[in-house]
Amino acid sequence: MSGALAAVRPDAWDLPLFLHILGAMTLVGGLALAATALAAAGRDGEAAAARLGYRALLLAALPGWIAMRVTAQWLLDEQGLEGSEVAWIEIGFITSEPLLLFLVGALVLSGMAARRDPARVRRLARVAAVLVGVLLVAYVVAVWAMTTKPA
Amino acid sequence: MYDTLLFLHVLTAFMLGAAAVMSSAIALGAPASGRTMFVSDRLEDLGATGTLVLGVWLGLYVDGYSLGDGWIVGAIGLWLGAATMTLLARPGFHDDGVTDRAKLMHWVRTALIVGILVLMVWKPGA
Repeated sequence: MSGALAAVRPDAWDLPLFLHILGAMTLVGGLALAATALAAAGRDGEAAAARLGYRALLLAALPGWIAMRVTAQWLLDEQGLEGSEVAWIEIGFITSEPLLLFLVGALVLSGMAARRDPARVRRLARVAAVLVGVLLVAYVVAVWAMTTKPA
Repeated sequence: MYDTLLFLHVLTAFMLGAAAVMSSAIALGAPASGRTMFVSDRLEDLGATGTLVLGVWLGLYVDGYSLGDGWIVGAIGLWLGAATMTLLARPGFHDDGVTDRAKLMHWVRTALIVGILVLMVWKPGA
């Protein structure tokens, strides 16, 4: 056997934690779909693929980000960690708020790509795909920080 | 060791969740290419396998958890149900659309995955 003890969590944290994880999963799922679609649009110049990437970001990733961020604040309040400077919370902030700009940037670029000629679709979709790729890597780091909670 | 197991367990759960989002978009009529469905299917394969294997490993590794705990038995039962729905739904997902039966199986599977998340967070009886 191990030595690792089962975590005990107050009941009041369960609902915000559930909604936080659900929001984060929706965010990551929307990003994964957008990455696949925008990579295809960047390769083939298809406006339909760029449109799918745009919709994935608008209808899944962005609402997921909002749900994740609002419930993160709820959890911080419940845990009395507002203003805390521990590393895992700092990583959470870094991967959510500044990187929202990447999400908005990818949203704008993919929206523009969905309305352009194939040559421009390729260029815009490639940049949007890179931004989405950076976000996916950042959220893997966030999952690591949230689960291992480095001090 | 515990941190690594937990991180990989949650990471594979995110893969499963991402696959559910991608499949939901396709079921709702998104114009999915074969590549999109391939990525979704591989995320689901990795996510489903990882959550089960690493989850059982955690159940054995962590003091205070037992594979006989109600919430763990329940989660494994829901996982089996979701895996069955996946096997039934997948043949109905095509480049040019999704059959009504596959859509139904997909939404049942998605509800079961959300059910697993509920059990993982609330851990009733733990």
